[in-house]
Amino acid sequence: MSGTPVRAMVRSPFVLVVGVILTWFIAAFLVWPNINVLIATFFPDGSFSGRAAEKLFSSQRAMKALGNSFLLAVALSITVNAVGIFIVLVTYYFRIRGSRILFLGYATTFIYGGIVLAAGYKFIYGDKGIVTSLLLQVFPSMDPAWFSGFFAVLVVMTFATTTNHMLFVANALKGVDYQTIEAAKNLGASTWTILRRIVLPMLKPTLFAVTILSFLTGLGALSAPQVLGGREFQTITPMILTFTNSPTSRDLAALLAVILGLATMVMLAVMSRLEKGGTYFSVSKVSSELQKQDITNPVANVAVHAVAYLLFAVYTLPVVLIVLYSFADGAAIQTGQLSPGSLTLDNYVRVLTQPAGLRPFVVSVVYSALAAVIAVGGLLFVARLLQKYRNWVASVFEYLLHIPWILPSALLALGLIISYDHPNPLVGGAVLTGTTVILLIAFVTVKIPFTLRMLKASFASVNSSLEEAAAIMGAKTLYVFRRILLPLVLPAAAAITALNFNSLLDDYDTAIFLAHPLVQPLGLVIKANTDGAEGTEGVANTFVYTVLLMVITGVTMYLVYGRSGRRRNRKRLPAVPPSGSIDATDVPPAAGSTASGADSRVPAAPVR
Amino acid sequence: MIRLDSIKVSFGDFNAIPHLDLHVRPGEFFTLLGPSGCGKTTALRTLAGFIQPAGGTVTVDGKDVTRLPSDKRQVGMVFQNYALFPSMSVWENIAFGLRVRKEKGADSDRMVRDIAHRVELSDEQLAKNVAELSGGQQQRVAVARALVLRPKILLLDEPLSNLDAKLRHQLRQQLKDLQSEFGITTVYVTHDQDEALAMSDRVAVFNKGVVEQVGTPQEIYDHAATEFVCNFIGDSSTLTPEFVAQVNAASGAQLSTRASSYLRVEKASLDAPAGGGTAVGLPGKVLSRTYHGLHSRYVVRSHGADIRLLVREDGGAHPEPGTETTVYVRPDHILQYHSETGAALQEQDRQDQAVALP
Repeated sequence: MSGTPVRAMVRSPFVLVVGVILTWFIAAFLVWPNINVLIATFFPDGSFSGRAAEKLFSSQRAMKALGNSFLLAVALSITVNAVGIFIVLVTYYFRIRGSRILFLGYATTFIYGGIVLAAGYKFIYGDKGIVTSLLLQVFPSMDPAWFSGFFAVLVVMTFATTTNHMLFVANALKGVDYQTIEAAKNLGASTWTILRRIVLPMLKPTLFAVTILSFLTGLGALSAPQVLGGREFQTITPMILTFTNSPTSRDLAALLAVILGLATMVMLAVMSRLEKGGTYFSVSKVSSELQKQDITNPVANVAVHAVAYLLFAVYTLPVVLIVLYSFADGAAIQTGQLSPGSLTLDNYVRVLTQPAGLRPFVVSVVYSALAAVIAVGGLLFVARLLQKYRNWVASVFEYLLHIPWILPSALLALGLIISYDHPNPLVGGAVLTGTTVILLIAFVTVKIPFTLRMLKASFASVNSSLEEAAAIMGAKTLYVFRRILLPLVLPAAAAITALNFNSLLDDYDTAIFLAHPLVQPLGLVIKANTDGAEGTEGVANTFVYTVLLMVITGVTMYLVYGRSGRRRNRKRLPAVPPSGSIDATDVPPAAGSTASGADSRVPAAPVR
Repeated sequence: MIRLDSIKVSFGDFNAIPHLDLHVRPGEFFTLLGPSGCGKTTALRTLAGFIQPAGGTVTVDGKDVTRLPSDKRQVGMVFQNYALFPSMSVWENIAFGLRVRKEKGADSDRMVRDIAHRVELSDEQLAKNVAELSGGQQQRVAVARALVLRPKILLLDEPLSNLDAKLRHQLRQQLKDLQSEFGITTVYVTHDQDEALAMSDRVAVFNKGVVEQVGTPQEIYDHAATEFVCNFIGDSSTLTPEFVAQVNAASGAQLSTRASSYLRVEKASLDAPAGGGTAVGLPGKVLSRTYHGLHSRYVVRSHGADIRLLVREDGGAHPEPGTETTVYVRPDHILQYHSETGAALQEQDRQDQAVALP
C-alpha cells in the first residue's frame, strides 16, 4: 500500500473529487491569504516597499510590544518548566500524600483556559476583584491594581499552560523503564541523583518540545496581556489587532504578523531538529511500570509536600471562587463578602432565560458545532486517502494542511480579512469579510491539523486485512469505506468532533479578528465583561458562562478519555488514541500532538 | 555464600512466597527455575533488596543484609531488559556506579576500560550510545556495569527472555563464559528449562512460591523429586496402571500401579536395545508420526497408554501409523509419584504400595 504511483491514484474518481475540493480549499483559505499578507506588507502598491518596516521601527509602541513579547516568551519558558516539572513529579513520580487530589487541582487547566481563565483571574485578583476587595479591607493602603502588568500576565500564563506538562511530560515519565531506576539504585544512586542523572535526561526531548511550545505561547499571547497587561505591558498580538482595525496601519499589522509567523516557524524548525538529534527511547523491549519514589530526606519531603499543596491552592482557588460566586448576587461580587443567604440560582436563571444572556452562548455553540462537524466530516475522506496513498502528491497535501499549525492564528485571521474584503474569484466573487461565514471558515481551518492527525492515526489503527478481505470479495472503494472503515473510525471521529467543539467554544483569538459585530461568540462577550462594560451583572454572567463551559468541557473530556481506561479489556477501538500512542505511530514524538501555532492543542486552549 | 532463611513475602493478601530456604555456594551458577508467577523473580528481588520480606533473613557472606538497601549488599544485577540508561553513552553507563561512589576520574576511567576489555567491548564501542549496540553488546554492557563495582554476587533476571531464539542461544554461551571467567557467584532467574539445564551448576525449581527441588541439572531431570518437576522439566508420557502392571509382569519389577507414572520420551524405543539389559517389549499400535527432520515423534498406544517417543531419522525403517509394533521400556526409567502428595516414590514405597494392592 505504500508508494502508490501518482498515476494510479488519479485513476480513481473518488480520489479526483476529493482532490479537487481539497485543492480549492487549500488554495483559497490556507495559501492565498498568507501570500496576501506578505504582499500587503512588502508590495502594498505592486512594487517592493520597505515602508512598513520603517513605520514599525519608528513606532515606539510597536517596538516595545515586540520586546515585551520576547521577554514574555523567555520568562514563560522558564516559569512553566519550573512549575510544570514540579507538578508532574509530585503527581506521578514521588510518593506524595493525597497525590490524586493534587492531580485534580493541577488538572483544572484542562477544563478551563484561554480568555475564560484570564477573565477569571482578573475577577478574582484584579483591581475590582474579589480577593483584592477582601485584601483591601485588611490592608487599606495596598495598591488595588497590584495584579496587573508583566507580573500578572506571567503568573496567569504560567498556571494556564502547564497543561502541556500534565499531558506530554507526564506521558513521557510514564514511559521511563522502572528497571533503569532500580538499576541506578542498585548501583548506589540517591533519589536526587536518579532524578537528575537518569529520569530528567530521558525526558529531555519532551521537555525541549514543551519549552518551545511555552515560548510560542508567550510570543503569541493575546488575551492575557489584553486583560491583565494594562497600559504598560502590551505584546505583539494585541498590537496586531489594534493595527488591523485601522486601514492605514494594516501594513504594520501584517508586518508584525509576518515577524510572529517567522519566529514561530524558526522555533518549530528548531524543535523538529532537536527531536531528530536525540531520542532517548528506552532500548528495552519490555519495560516495567514506574513505581512512585519516596523522598528519603524528611526535610525535603516536608518542603515538597508544602510547595505541592501551595500550588494546589493556587490552581484551585480561582475555580472554587468562580463556582461559588456564580451563585452570588451583585453586592457580594462587588465587595467580595459572601454569606450563605446571598447564594441563589438567579444568575443561572438570568443567563439561561434572557435572550441577551443566552445569545452569546448559543452563537458559540452553533459556530463550534458547525466547525467541528465540517472539519471532521471533510477530513474523514482526506485522512483516509492520505493514509492509503503514500507518494509525493499526498505528502504535499499533507504539508499544506499543516499550515494552520505553523502559523499563528493572528496571521491566518489577518490573511482572511485582507484577502476577502473585496470580491474574490476564489470564492465565486463574494465578499466574506464582515460576514458570519468568515469566522466559520477560520474555525474549520484552525482545527484541520489536529483533526487530520487524529483521524489518520485512527485509520492507521484499523487492521488492513479487513479492507483486503472486503476487496477480495469484490467490494468497491466507496463500499469498503462506508461499510467497513467508517463504522470502525466513527467512535474516534465522534471523540475528535467533541474535542474540537470544546476548544472552539471559548475561542477568543480568532473571533476577535473575524466575528460579525452582531453575532458575537462567548469569548468576546467575556472579554468585554472584563472591561467592566456590563457592570456586576456582566461579571456574574461571566462566572455562569465559565461554570457552564467547565461542565461541558469536563463532561466531554470524561466521555472521551475518562471511560476508555475502564473499557480497556473490551474489544473496542479506543475513542481517541491516547496522545502517547499517536506520537509513536504517527509522527516524531511531541511534534505529533503538541506542535502548535494556534490553539489546536489537545484539549484546552492556553491563555494567549 | 548466600542464605535465604525462612523468607516470607506477601503482597497485600497474596502470599507470594510462604516459606523459602535456599543456600547458594561460593562461585556457583545457581538458577531459579519455574513457570511465570511462581515467585522466582520475587525471590531474586528479595535477595537484591528491592523487596522487603515479611519474615526471615537474607545472609550474604555471613553478614545479615535483610534490612540493608540494595546498594549496600554488594550485589550486582543484570535486569531483564538490561535497564541501560538510554540518555548516556556506554562509558557513562558503566561508570555510573563509580561516579555515584565519587571515585577519582582517572581511577574510574581505568576501571571502566579494564572491565570493558574483559567483556570484550572495544574503546570505540565505549563512546557509542547504548541504542546503537546490538543485543549481545548491550548484554555485555549490562554485565560490565554490574561487575565494575566488584560485587560479591551477580544477579541475572531473565536476561535472555526478550531475544529471538538464535541470539538467545548465542548469548547464553557468552553469559556462561563471562561467569566462569570472573568466577563470581551467580543467581540466575529463568522460565526456560533448556537454559537452566545447560547453564547451571545447580537449579532450584519453583512452584507457587515453594521450592520443589534443588539439585544439579541431571538430578532434577533424571530424578525429578515431585510430579510437578517431572512435568515441568522435559517431556514425558503418562502411563496407565494397566501398562505399569504389564511392565511388572514382563520384568518382575515391583512398580506401584496406584501411583502417577511417567516415562521420558527419549527413554522409550521401538527397537530392542542392543545390550538387551532389563528392557521389556510391550505390543502397541502406531497412532501417529510427525516428521521433524532430525527425528520423528511417534505416538504408540499400548495398554491404554499413549507412549510418545522419538526415533532418529538415520535412514532406518519406520513403521507407518496404523501398524502394530513393540515398545521397549526399562522399568527403572519409569518415574513414579504419590498420587496425592506428588512426591517421588522410593523403592520402599513402591513395594508398600504394591503390597497394598488388592
